[in-house]
Amino acid sequence: MTELNTLSGQVHRVSSALGEPEWLLALREEAWKRFVEMPQPWIEKTDLSKRTWDTGTFSTDVEKVPQEVQAYVDGIEHSYALFVDGLLVDLKLTDEAKAAGVVYQTIHEGARLNGAVWRKHFGTVVATDESKWAALNAGLFVGGVFLHVPRNVQIEAPFETVYVWTGKEFGSYPRSLVVAEELSDIQYVETTFSSARDVKVASSHVLEVVAMPSSRVHVAAADEWHKGPTYFLTRRAKVEKDADVRWTVGDTSDGFGVETIENVLQGSGATGLIRVVGLGYGREHFELTASMKHVGRNTESEIVMHAALRDRANTIYRSRTEIVKGAVGAGSEQHDRMIMIDGTARADAIPMLLIDENDVNRCGHAASVGKIDPTQIYYLMSRGIPYAQAMKMIIWGYLSDSVDALPTAGVRDLVVERIERELGR
Amino acid sequence: MAKPDFRVNDLRVNIDGKEILKGLNLHIQGGEIHAIMGPNGTGKSTLASALMGHPHYEVTGGSATLDGEDLLEMSVDERARAGLFLAMQYPAEVPGVSNANFIRQALNARLGEGNELPVLKFHRMLQEKMKALSIDPEFAERYLNEGFSGGEKKRNEILQMSMLEPRIAILDEIDSGLDIDALKIVANGVNSLRSENIGFLIITHYQRLLNYIKPDYVHVMMQGRIVRSGDATLAEELEAKGYDWLKAELGIEDETVGVEA
Repeated sequence: MTELNTLSGQVHRVSSALGEPEWLLALREEAWKRFVEMPQPWIEKTDLSKRTWDTGTFSTDVEKVPQEVQAYVDGIEHSYALFVDGLLVDLKLTDEAKAAGVVYQTIHEGARLNGAVWRKHFGTVVATDESKWAALNAGLFVGGVFLHVPRNVQIEAPFETVYVWTGKEFGSYPRSLVVAEELSDIQYVETTFSSARDVKVASSHVLEVVAMPSSRVHVAAADEWHKGPTYFLTRRAKVEKDADVRWTVGDTSDGFGVETIENVLQGSGATGLIRVVGLGYGREHFELTASMKHVGRNTESEIVMHAALRDRANTIYRSRTEIVKGAVGAGSEQHDRMIMIDGTARADAIPMLLIDENDVNRCGHAASVGKIDPTQIYYLMSRGIPYAQAMKMIIWGYLSDSVDALPTAGVRDLVVERIERELGR
Repeated sequence: MAKPDFRVNDLRVNIDGKEILKGLNLHIQGGEIHAIMGPNGTGKSTLASALMGHPHYEVTGGSATLDGEDLLEMSVDERARAGLFLAMQYPAEVPGVSNANFIRQALNARLGEGNELPVLKFHRMLQEKMKALSIDPEFAERYLNEGFSGGEKKRNEILQMSMLEPRIAILDEIDSGLDIDALKIVANGVNSLRSENIGFLIITHYQRLLNYIKPDYVHVMMQGRIVRSGDATLAEELEAKGYDWLKAELGIEDETVGVEA
């Protein structure tokens, strides 16, 4: 009990620093209790036994925004929020979005100012007790946004949440909630700048997306997870009738992480696409599951995952399609392709099909793991292209479609730059 | 610039420890077209791949120079930039890399840093050459060789050759699998490049191609070396009489070196 009492001091510290109402503190305390009670999780390809569940100590000191990030944010013309270690530094909402009635504020402001919508949806997509790390996040969440898009509002310019994680001795626990009402159409982006850290902590990030009937949401991310913390990432969308949620995630990491990106195709006619493009390097260990859960009738999904691995990176990509009983007429496709650039890297591409319904429209999967084809290298070189350039051209050939799908030039350039940096070594 | 001068002396090549080329000699100068003929399995394609520097082929002896430079000391890309070109029998498919981008990178690598061709000029030139080879303009943006038919791949090899303007071009069975119309297009592509600034080595199994590309020299390969050289009439003689008379004359029973073409 000592452990619980001492550590839950963090919950109180966070909640009081954020000036939260009683009900929210109670929610956190309940979550924390679940976190402490839940057993050490077992993940097939990821050994957590040597990883810590320490959280570090929360503080309200705001670190300086790194120059690179400031330059990036200065280039953003759409709505954005900038967090440093979970603490809000800057938030801009465009006049267009304001006029349309869009609410874009921190998750903490959301609880205070828009409690009704907030409480209706918070925890309904990523349940507090679904995993030890989901409970951890619900107990300690600091930073993240509440984005509420009213009915029939279509805005092309994205909403971009920029996270900076410095070397502070506190885990990262951002949590965001996106609620897209009926017929709305938006793009939401999460961009992460993180530094390598000596501190051993467990971090848990959560993103919940509620896509109401006939809405369209494109969620994109430019991630980088560096060594030090254990990163647990849970990103999920609940997709209602005839709604569509697309994900485009660009990941360049050398850290330790476990991520789930999932669409729950709840309503009939719901559709979804998950695209992941990854470059792992260093001693990365990353297990990523892209998942489509078909619940409604005539739902359609596609998963496209491409990774290139350098150094001693070890990446596991799972593409998972679940078709529950009653999800009549579901269609799904999976493509999972991984390339090991260096002989020391290791890749696993694991397709999973869990089908409990007999009446399935189609269900295809293709997974492959390999090295760069030497005959391709030879062919390019035979035309005068040097080896390093030939290798880069072939790798970009795999990755470029997914990078091109990122919604803004800024995010595309950032991901391209990060991949180039690691390919060009 | 002086005429290209390409010399192969006593070239010996192994595959998987087995000797396939057993001392091959060749001298090609700019303006000349040489044809190498011979039955399957006599080492013709091995010669082409070894000269280009395919990692699977191990040179165990002899020399190969282009304009006095030692090709065998160079990496594959260096050989290409020195002016050697190989139109491959089975070119690789590279998904995600557009044909145009590939050719532009190759051309710029050949021209060297600071001498790159402006993008618009490049595309104009590419479209002109594609038209001359009856290649659909949309092939520029198709992924490199992906989903191309056999004939389209061959034409694409010739397109690259005409864009890169090599000093020595080796065509490895460029005629295999082509119908007569495609064959004429490919031959026209080669003939239009003919000049003092380029020498050709045409490897073929059939004399048919040589009706459209007139060689100056014809060499016959057997058992990993050149066993007979002559002019275009030698090819005609082989077409009319086959190889057996030559084997009998040379006292060769098995002309192969134990590999597939």
